[in-house]
Amino acid sequence: MKVPASWLREYVDFGLPLEDLARKLVFTSCEVDRIVPRGVPDVDGNLGKFLVGKVLEAGKHPNADRLQLCLVDVGEGEPRQIVCGAWNFGAGATVAVALPGALLPGAEEPLGEAKLRGELSRGMILSEDEVDLGLDHSGIMVLGDDYEPGTPLAEVLPLTDDVLEIETGFNRPDLASIYGIAREVAAVTGGTLTAPPGRDPERAGEEPVDVRVEDFVGCPRYVGRLFRGATIGESPHWLKARLLAAGMRPISNVVDVTNYVMLALGSPLHAFDLTRLDEGRIVVRRAHAGEKMRTLDGQERELTPDDLVIADASHPVAIAGIMGGEESEVRPETTDLLLEAANFDPLTVLRTSRRLRLRTESSTRWEKGVDPYAAEQAAIYATQLFVELAGARWTGHTDVNDGLPERPRVTLEPELADRLSGLQIPVEEQVERLEAIGFDVDGRNVTVPTWRARDVTRPVDLVEEVVRFRIEEIPSTLPDRPAKPAQLTREQRLRRQVEDVLVGAGFYEAYTWTLVPEAEGRIPLQEPYTAELAALRDTLEHWLVESARRNRNAGVERIALFELARVFLPSDDVLPEERWHVAGIVDGGYSVAKGAVETLHRAFHVEPDYSVVDLRELDEGWGYFEIDLDSLFPRVPEVVLYEDVITYPVVKQDLAFVVDERVNAGELVEEARRAAGPELREMRPFDVYRGEQAGPGKKSIAFAVSFQSPERTLSDEDAAGLRRRIVEALEQRFGAVLRA
Amino acid sequence: MDKPSTVAAVDVEALERDALAAVSGAADGTQLDEARVRYLGRKSPLKLALREVRDRESGMALNALRERIEEALEARRVELERPAADPSFDPTLPGVEIPRGTYHLITQLRRRIEDVFIGMGYEIFDGLEVDTVENNFDALNTPEPHPSRDPRDTFYINDQAVLRTHTSPSQIRTMQASEPPVYIASLGRTYRRDTIDATHTPIFHQVEALAVDRDITLADLRGTMRAFAEAIFGGTREVRMRTSFFPFTEPSVEFDMTCFMCDGAGCSLCKHSGWIEMGGAGEVDPNVLEYVGYDPNEWQGFAWGLGIDRIAATLHGLPDLRLFWENDIRFLSQF
Repeated sequence: MKVPASWLREYVDFGLPLEDLARKLVFTSCEVDRIVPRGVPDVDGNLGKFLVGKVLEAGKHPNADRLQLCLVDVGEGEPRQIVCGAWNFGAGATVAVALPGALLPGAEEPLGEAKLRGELSRGMILSEDEVDLGLDHSGIMVLGDDYEPGTPLAEVLPLTDDVLEIETGFNRPDLASIYGIAREVAAVTGGTLTAPPGRDPERAGEEPVDVRVEDFVGCPRYVGRLFRGATIGESPHWLKARLLAAGMRPISNVVDVTNYVMLALGSPLHAFDLTRLDEGRIVVRRAHAGEKMRTLDGQERELTPDDLVIADASHPVAIAGIMGGEESEVRPETTDLLLEAANFDPLTVLRTSRRLRLRTESSTRWEKGVDPYAAEQAAIYATQLFVELAGARWTGHTDVNDGLPERPRVTLEPELADRLSGLQIPVEEQVERLEAIGFDVDGRNVTVPTWRARDVTRPVDLVEEVVRFRIEEIPSTLPDRPAKPAQLTREQRLRRQVEDVLVGAGFYEAYTWTLVPEAEGRIPLQEPYTAELAALRDTLEHWLVESARRNRNAGVERIALFELARVFLPSDDVLPEERWHVAGIVDGGYSVAKGAVETLHRAFHVEPDYSVVDLRELDEGWGYFEIDLDSLFPRVPEVVLYEDVITYPVVKQDLAFVVDERVNAGELVEEARRAAGPELREMRPFDVYRGEQAGPGKKSIAFAVSFQSPERTLSDEDAAGLRRRIVEALEQRFGAVLRA
Repeated sequence: MDKPSTVAAVDVEALERDALAAVSGAADGTQLDEARVRYLGRKSPLKLALREVRDRESGMALNALRERIEEALEARRVELERPAADPSFDPTLPGVEIPRGTYHLITQLRRRIEDVFIGMGYEIFDGLEVDTVENNFDALNTPEPHPSRDPRDTFYINDQAVLRTHTSPSQIRTMQASEPPVYIASLGRTYRRDTIDATHTPIFHQVEALAVDRDITLADLRGTMRAFAEAIFGGTREVRMRTSFFPFTEPSVEFDMTCFMCDGAGCSLCKHSGWIEMGGAGEVDPNVLEYVGYDPNEWQGFAWGLGIDRIAATLHGLPDLRLFWENDIRFLSQF
């Protein structure tokens, strides 16, 4: 929320520099992102170079058809010659003048004296957009005639301001208005708060206002007021300047007033052209299925029975709390108005706003919840301004509601504040602080102000209201608890170990997106983020391969990436099955990937189970592996038990067997183990030979074999026996022939 | 008294001079052994003198001499064993390169954070990345109108499940799984439908801490955050709290720590404020405690959370968070 300081000061007198105020608010109330100066820079007497001027003479520039040559009295005795490009004024007009040396908003260099087409221009007659007072650049500002030439312009127009940019929390809808911030500032600084702005003018008639609320859940309150004889036109500069400073665009006096009052008091308003409401009636109801309307932004909107609408006697004229309709909008020729100062249910507005993807200044306020009591004061203030600024006559009033909510009552538990904060806050102080922000306290009974009714409903909520004013004083302590050893879980420890092994083996750890393109077997998002990020990954492959490609394209010499992360598999439950995987992609193809898989398993003292390991060579030549860690980890031994591999010597032999092509090395090793028993310590293939000596359709596999017993030294006879058992078993089972 | 140059009939100085000259003059191992026998052998003047000596002072002087000679012998032995200078040997050439991988920066920081919490007696809790709407929002006292529930901000899997928007559902799962007191930290991926740019990625990482016991106060929260900040960033750090709002804590605060670059003096990193924003925290809302079946009159505690991607980026001076996800080996291999 953008809070112009001049506006804030109108409601509260805080004797503090703005920076100090911002600092206080940051601790007690809300974020203040920054303070932004606006309008004419207030530096080095710059404001003194902006004066009221009276045009004495104005005529066509002798050398330029589009320029006027003027003589302007700025109270210096001697008039100034000024060249001006606008034609919306003539001699006798009162205007705003910047003298040479003046620094305009956004300008880097001060204004200089210049010759324009041969004529000296000793100043500049200002248009409103040149000093941030409006958006119009079609002509210069013509001021009221009652200002003396030479009057400092800053006394006449809000030339300069500072804007506090404030972020208000979801729990503080009461801060979504200038007056709401003023109330907070008064509490924080002890400054004096004015009464809320707006006094009802005299009513110029007793017309009935036909407002029918059919849905008090969606609309607990509807204040409707009628106006006749309004003149639609531009708003005065002070109002336009404030709207602009607060981040809204001026449109016309009536629309600007509704926006201005919304910003001032936080309760959004809407003005209808009364003559365009069928039978002049307002009906607040749910939309009929398939009902349509065109909103102010020109969009045709299809409505559903969940949507709350403001309708006239026949059809919807506004989507409640979100946007008005094009047909009933206020136009230049409008004279009769119906002002809506209502209260709408947050959830109703929120759901429709989400469905239609339509968020407005008004809908974001309703979504957070607006105080229903604020509607009446907003109607009053808008009425005052319609009368003052649009010359309207106020001719009718109604307030339709189903009874306004009572102010919540909460029990003060003063010891709770101490218990939660670690401070000692005397009960008298707690009461004082609550009273300062509008709570009524009677003993332990606290009545919450209407504008905090949504947020403060429990004793603990009162604690926050007290503690926030002393938040900086809270000391630093540590929980007082008996020492308790903590450690990583087994799975956490093993996951770290996976990372350690792979990093040690030369792999770089990658982090890739959890989301991948949609495909069979993957769980899609309800709404994709992009086509590439649309479903939960079921393997780590997609982005890992993409990462490898990027590296290759970047000319990286050694590609070895791994990722340890979760994958998501469909399940019968609401939630997918989450499993931890590790995957790697590496130069050198299949055998390097396999080496990594084996190293990893060796580190965990288990044999690879290739039913849960995906091991492949990719088309681009990289080796790829992916291991389901949730299958691996349960097999990892808790403790590795000692085996005596030191006391008794190892007997080493090389054995080569000729077998059919279809027999693989793993089968031979498995069979050999079965035949030889535990004294066969290792049997590792180290060479595969195909060629003449092996014979057609055959191959020779050479194994490095070692025998060892943990109990005794194996004799030559023992080793020969073991070898014989292996040779016989392999011959019998696979027709393997021992090569000499 | 002057230092005697003669001790037990041995001229210490002369003996030392001769011995050291013989040691340094030894051209090979054999000559060095000869020197050892001559000056430290059983029949050497020093050993003989040592055998005869009666007074403590003389004994100490002779033993000191023996040690000095032994040191010289050892130094010369090492010197002689060094390979002879080979003119073809270039010691400045690099060794055979042994490939070395690296841990991702987020992993490095995650491990440090986990270790800090383990050190403070907190277990590390792994939550789920896809959790129920109930755990991610309802149980955390986040009613429907709250903007974080908007599908424009949150990745919905179905009407009842989301990619968690914060690590806070871990609070619910931990407390439902165990009786108080509870001290846990939970780290991992979190998801929000942010537009990707230099300072936002739709996937990022958070750390969550939860301490629920009989008397855990905002003061304990501040102290714990400070201990954490000092452990991760080093030095003496101040932590300050500002009033804020989160649905699942009451009171709620945002916390800042003094900038680790300038120690609070003001620099470009902290935008000259002296403070760096860390994250959000507060006392666990009684509604959350009730939801998991803890009696809020008996148990209370704090919860806090912060994003770690930005911390890692700040610590290492990264200009762009997207670097964490591009997996450019030229980048990864720097760390």
